[in-house]
Amino acid sequence: MGKVKKQKERTFLQDLLNFQGSLNGKSKFLDEVRLKGAEEVRNIPFPTKKLEDWKFISLRDLYKDSYELASDLDVEVPDLSEHYLPESKGARLTFVNGSFSAEHSSTEDIPEEVLIGNIAKLAEEDNDLLKEHLNKYVENNFEEDVFSSFNKAFLKDGVFVYVPEGLTVDVPLHMLFVQTVADEKYFTTSRSVIVADKESEVTIVEDHIGLGDNKYFNLPVVEINAEEESYVKHTKIQRDSRESIHIARTAAFVHHHANYESYTITRGAKLSRNEPRISQRAEEVEFTVDGLVLIDGDQVSDTHSVMDHRFSHCESHQLHKCVITGKAHSVFNGKIFVRKDAQKIDSFQENRNLLLSRKGLVNTKPQLEIFADDVVCTHGATVGQLEEDELFYLMSRGLNEQQAREMLIYAFALETIENISVDSVQDLLVDEVHRFTENQLDSKLTV
Amino acid sequence: MLEIKDLHVCVEEDPSEKILKGVNLTINEGEIHAIMGPNGSGKSTLSKVVAGHEAYEVTQGNILYNGESILELEADERAHLGIFLAFQYPVEVPGVTNKNLLRQAYNTIAEEQGREELDPLQFEDHAREQLKLIDMKEEFLERSVNAGFSGGEKKRNEIFQMAVLQPKLAFLDETDSGLDIDALKIVANGINELSGEDNAVVLVTHYQRILDYVQPDHVHVMIDGKIAKSGDKDLAIKLEEEGYDWLSEGASVL
Repeated sequence: MGKVKKQKERTFLQDLLNFQGSLNGKSKFLDEVRLKGAEEVRNIPFPTKKLEDWKFISLRDLYKDSYELASDLDVEVPDLSEHYLPESKGARLTFVNGSFSAEHSSTEDIPEEVLIGNIAKLAEEDNDLLKEHLNKYVENNFEEDVFSSFNKAFLKDGVFVYVPEGLTVDVPLHMLFVQTVADEKYFTTSRSVIVADKESEVTIVEDHIGLGDNKYFNLPVVEINAEEESYVKHTKIQRDSRESIHIARTAAFVHHHANYESYTITRGAKLSRNEPRISQRAEEVEFTVDGLVLIDGDQVSDTHSVMDHRFSHCESHQLHKCVITGKAHSVFNGKIFVRKDAQKIDSFQENRNLLLSRKGLVNTKPQLEIFADDVVCTHGATVGQLEEDELFYLMSRGLNEQQAREMLIYAFALETIENISVDSVQDLLVDEVHRFTENQLDSKLTV
Repeated sequence: MLEIKDLHVCVEEDPSEKILKGVNLTINEGEIHAIMGPNGSGKSTLSKVVAGHEAYEVTQGNILYNGESILELEADERAHLGIFLAFQYPVEVPGVTNKNLLRQAYNTIAEEQGREELDPLQFEDHAREQLKLIDMKEEFLERSVNAGFSGGEKKRNEIFQMAVLQPKLAFLDETDSGLDIDALKIVANGINELSGEDNAVVLVTHYQRILDYVQPDHVHVMIDGKIAKSGDKDLAIKLEEEGYDWLSEGASVL
C-alpha cells in the first residue's frame, strides 16, 4: 500500500489549488462551487498510464511544468476580428485566457427571450437558472474525474445560454475562446452551459484558438441539456497552440424526441483529449458525435467517448475520422453502452484512420457493452493509407502527385465537415484541410 | 504516334511474375485499334504500362511516343502529352466533384501543352457540351467522382472524362464490359465522335460486341503477353466464331 502511495503522481497542478481561493469574493455561489471542486481534486489522483482509460498517452508533458493562473497574466489582446464568423456578427461571446471580453462580444442578434451571458456576471447576479443547471450534467456524466473537478475548482467564467420553450435561435452562437501569447506557461479554463428547453433549437460553435505557439494548459468543460423535442447543433473546433495541452469534457443530456448533433474538429495542441459523453434521458432520441482529427509533427490526439443508451428507441451515430502524419499519434476509444431495458437501439460507430507516414501511430478501440437483446449496433475501425490505384487514377488525369494526394485527403476528410450547418465554419475547415495537406506534402512522405 | 518495341514487363514487387513478353505494336494518328484476348493475357497491363502505372516494371524494350521514350515519365507527365486511360475499374473519390477534378485536370494539361486555360464558366460550357455525348444530365458535373455510381455510369464517366480532356491517344480498358446494349451504344457513339484524324483510340476488350458499333482499322490478339496475331475487322469476327484456341497452338487457354 505504502508503495502505491509513493508512486501516486504528484503534479505541479496541485500547487495551483493554493491559489484558487484568490478567485473568491464576487459570488458566494461560485465560491462554494470552487471549494467543492478543490476538495474533490484533493481526493482524486491525477491519472497515469496505469489506468486503462489513459494507457495509450503520456501526461508527463502536463505534469512536469508549473503553471500560472491565466487570470493573473497581464495580456495585450490583438485584433481578433479575423476569427469572427460572419453569421455570428451579433451572436458571439469571446473569452480571452478564460476571462470574458465584452469588447469582443455581441449578442444583439440573439432574441431577447434567450438568457445569454457570461457565467461570472450571472453568478454575481445570483441567477437562479445558472444555479439550477451549472454542474448538473457534468457531475452526472463524469464521476471521480479529476479534470472536471479541477475545472470546477477554478470555475470563474464561461458561457451560459438558456433557450426558452418553443424558440428557435436562427443565428449560430459563436463561443470564441482565445489564448494569448505569454512568457509564462499558464493554466486556462472555461465552462459552457447550454440549456435548450422544450421544442427549442440552437446552434453553437465552440471555437478554441491559440494565437501563438506557447505552452498552456486549456481545460474546457461543456454541459448541454437538450430538453424534449429540442434540437442542439454543436460544432467544436480546436486550434489551440501547437505547444499547448487541451483536455476537454463534454457532457450532454438528450431528452424525449430531442436531437443532439455534434462535430468535433481537432487540429491544434500538442496533446489533446476529448471526452464527449452523451446520456440518453428518455425514449426516442437521436444523437450524433462525429469527429475529424488532422494531426502532424509530434501531435497526440485522444478521443474517449461514451454513448450511453439508457432507454428504448435511440438512433446514435459516430463517425470518427483521423488523418495522421509525421510522428503524430491518434487514439480512439468509443464506448457504446446499451442498458438492460434499452431496446430498439440503432447505433452506428466507425473509426477510420488515414495514416500517411511510417512513424505515425494509431490506437483504436471500439468498445460495446450491450445488456439489451433487441439492438442493432454496427461498429468498426480501419487504418489505411492512400491507395496507389487512387493516386494513379488521378495522376493519369494529369494531376501531379501533390494535387492527387491533396484531393484524396480532402475527400477523406470532407465527409465529417459537409454536415456542419454553418457555412463559414465549413469554409474555414476546408481551408484547414488544405493547409494541413500542403504542410504535410512539403515534408516528403512515404506512401 | 505510339511505337511499342519488344516490351517486356513484370510486376514490380515480384519480378518473377512476367506479364508482357515482347509486345510490338505501332499506332498511327487517325487509327482505331482493338486489342482482344483471353483473361490474363496482358491486355490490361499493357494499357496501364502505357499510362505509367508504377506497379509494373519494364525490363526490356521501349515505348516511344512521337519518337521519344516515355518510360521515365510519371503518369501525370504522360497525361500532359495527351495519353489517356479509361479505367476498367474507375476509382471513387467521394467529396470531389467531377467538375472540380476535370477542371483541374483540363487546366493542368492545357498549361503543359501551352494551350489556353479555361475559367470556371468557360469550363462549364465546355463540359456541358461533352455531356450530351454520353447522354447525361448536368447534375453529373456536380456529383462526386464515381462515388455511388452504377457500373454503367462509371464507364460513361470515363468516356465523358476523355471527351473533356481531349487526349491524343486513348486506351479504353474494357470500357464496353458490363454495359447493357443502350449504354454500349452511347459509349460507342462517344468513341466515334471523339476519334479523328489527329488522334488514336485503342479499345481493349474481351468481346467482339462493341466492334459492331466502332469500326477498328486494326485488330490484335494478345495471348500470353505477346501479340499473337494482327489483322483487320475480319479477325475479330473469326475470334467470335472460333475462340482463341486456334491461335495458342495447343496451349490451354480459358
